[in-house]
Amino acid sequence: MTKLKLSGVSKAYGATMALRHGDLEIEAGEVHVLIGANGSGKSTLCKIVAGSVRPDRGTVLIDDRPVTVSGPRAAKALGIGIFYQELSLAEHRSVAENILMPDLPRKGRLFVNREALAETAGRYIALFAQVAGEDLTADTPVGRLRADQRQLVEIMKALASKAPVLIFDEPTSALDRAQVDRFFEILRGLRNEGRSIVFISHRMDEIFAIGDRVTVIRDGETIGTTTIADTSPAAVIRMMVGEQEGLAVPQDAPPASATGGGTALSVAHLSGQGFSDVSFTVARGEILGLGGLHGQGQSALLRALFGAPPAHSGAVTLAGAALRTENPRSAITSGLAYVSGDRGRDGVITGRPILENVTPVHALRNRLMLASPGRLAAGALPALKALNTKFAGLSHPISSLSGGNQQKIVIARWLIDRPDVLLLDDPTKGIDLSAKADLFALIRKLAEDGLAIILYSSEDAELLNNADRILVFNGGSVRRELAGAERTRYNLYHAAYEAA
Amino acid sequence: MTATPSIAREGRGGFGALLDRFPFLPAIVILIVLLVLNGLFEPNSLSFRSLTGLVRTYMALMLLAVAQTYVVYAADIDLSVGAIASLVNVTIIVLMQHLGGGGLSVVAALGVGVLVGLACGLVNGFVVAALRLQAIVATFATSIFFTGLALTILPVAGMPAPTAFWRTYGGSFFGIPFVFYCVAVLAVLLYLLARSRLATQLLAVGDGQQAAFQSGLPVTAIRIGGYALCGVFAALAAFCITGDTASGDPLVGAKMTLFSVAAVVLGGSALSGGFGTVVGSVIAALIIGLINALVFFAGTPSHWQNFVQGLAILAALMVGILVSRRGRA
Repeated sequence: MTKLKLSGVSKAYGATMALRHGDLEIEAGEVHVLIGANGSGKSTLCKIVAGSVRPDRGTVLIDDRPVTVSGPRAAKALGIGIFYQELSLAEHRSVAENILMPDLPRKGRLFVNREALAETAGRYIALFAQVAGEDLTADTPVGRLRADQRQLVEIMKALASKAPVLIFDEPTSALDRAQVDRFFEILRGLRNEGRSIVFISHRMDEIFAIGDRVTVIRDGETIGTTTIADTSPAAVIRMMVGEQEGLAVPQDAPPASATGGGTALSVAHLSGQGFSDVSFTVARGEILGLGGLHGQGQSALLRALFGAPPAHSGAVTLAGAALRTENPRSAITSGLAYVSGDRGRDGVITGRPILENVTPVHALRNRLMLASPGRLAAGALPALKALNTKFAGLSHPISSLSGGNQQKIVIARWLIDRPDVLLLDDPTKGIDLSAKADLFALIRKLAEDGLAIILYSSEDAELLNNADRILVFNGGSVRRELAGAERTRYNLYHAAYEAA
Repeated sequence: MTATPSIAREGRGGFGALLDRFPFLPAIVILIVLLVLNGLFEPNSLSFRSLTGLVRTYMALMLLAVAQTYVVYAADIDLSVGAIASLVNVTIIVLMQHLGGGGLSVVAALGVGVLVGLACGLVNGFVVAALRLQAIVATFATSIFFTGLALTILPVAGMPAPTAFWRTYGGSFFGIPFVFYCVAVLAVLLYLLARSRLATQLLAVGDGQQAAFQSGLPVTAIRIGGYALCGVFAALAAFCITGDTASGDPLVGAKMTLFSVAAVVLGGSALSGGFGTVVGSVIAALIIGLINALVFFAGTPSHWQNFVQGLAILAALMVGILVSRRGRA
């Protein structure tokens, strides 16, 4: 019996299609796995079911009746409960209040029934009592819990909805083995009660341990659904990769400079918040790619190299000399450059003219105390020109430019005085295609000029097309290095999904 | 696979846990210090009569601070509490005057006063939560609007309150001053409200609006509820102002608005929402009252009083923040 059916669902955010054509059919009494690469649209699909995102097109059917999920409250009324990947907890409220927040037990019309709250929440906490750790009690404020405990509380909150359809969007990313096992036991119990469970995970072993059927999504479209018993991890990865294998082959062979430039930066056993024991070297003229799923330590590593915040332990050597970055300031003066995809937070100086956005690094590296606009402009223009930046005048505010051109300005900042190593942290996020092409052409040219470049991109195609070597991250460490002909989408996914 | 970034929040001392439960502890310490200082400068200031007078004068600010706290719970702010209090003040004065000033007219006027406060709160809630205007600017605008209404109702200050009204507020029953009955009623009210669903939901909204929305909470309705509660408490504050000053004044509340915000912060609540207590705000309102008394008793020359008062409030804020930070670090 089909419990939940989505057909032809789509959602666009501005110009980006988050979901092109989503189909999904969930039976009562099954654990249905959703899988797809970064940004393929899984989370958007879940949020549409949960009502926190409204679809542009398509239909949702529950028990064969078409429904409109107008918001989280409507979803609740329709019997849909969700575990949010980014969690939906109130930090200062207690565990018990958080578990039952969607529907606080009442006394009379106005009051919270404290006894019922403690008792009901206690039942859900007891489910995980063996694995949650002693400090997870009903009265603890959620802000005092560890990441895995918070994830457990979000799980309890989803369970407490008692919804016939439960969606878990990456519920296990912070859990340890025992916690996952306990969670799966509970899920099996729910399935046997006849509930429908949608489960998203990036760990192939988990998917095969708990799933009944699997649906693969690629580039915002549902590719197909198969029974877990009839498939294999390799077959699933092949479905995720599809016919795009051709894309993965770089347009031309990596330039000779990629190998013969000498080591620019070497990193040994570096550990910090979000990554551990990472070692690698980058040569002058080489583009080193960091791959894998979102948030597996790639950005954290790049930020740590730039000193924001610095790594806890390990050694970094820049051009033969030990490098100690305390903060971004010292990283800049020793010759590192960092460009973030989060322009609003890390790049653009909003509301200021283009000239001021191009020159701060130049000013810092040369300890400029007084600025002469004419001399600064003379330095800035060639850098902007190298990037094909389109702008009306240096005195115009940066906000007058498109996202792609803003990012070019941020990159130009680093080109007035050449750095030794360029760290690119998902630099093309939210940038149109032609600007992307310009950017990567420039990045290759910079590499040919002798810069060492480390590129993290959440778009696998960008990595495969532009990086000379790729380090695949999983759980904060490097699982595999792909070089030469190994750089295929299949290998990339294989390492990213199966290594756990 | 256990890439769990362990958050360095464990192993906090007992004091930290205590502060988590009772964020107004620093405020209590400051209150006691101020009481002692007052006693040193003017032993008489600790007499029952003086303390009664202090509570009588600052009851209004306590109620305004409570009003402000419920809005701040949800990470909003209300810069119109003072204007609402003024509007209610002149409304009830004019009504009582028109109805003859008897006992029944007082009760009727107070009923209307509460409704006026509630209506103002609903207006604020509507513009901030439903129209999604910036709380700080929107309530500043409504404050001008409410003040305008108050000036229309009573253009100049000075219409007196009926004798029965201010005699009751300033009087005693069974040997206990009337204001202490007010304090007792307030305590019961705050106790009940702390157990209300609305208070918990306001705090959840203040903690993270997106998370609250995704949890299925009716965020807009909850925020409007917070402003409505705020309006009602501002009306109650207006009753105390009227009892204390025994007259109507269309501008009487204006200067109290930012004091109410200061009291909320001094009482240990976070202006960013999601965390705080009303008890702290009440204590902090008393602290502000004691500071004013101290400035007076210490014999500060009149042209220095504002200067010293401002410094003292800054110092109290700093002590409070330093103590909390030490405890939480």
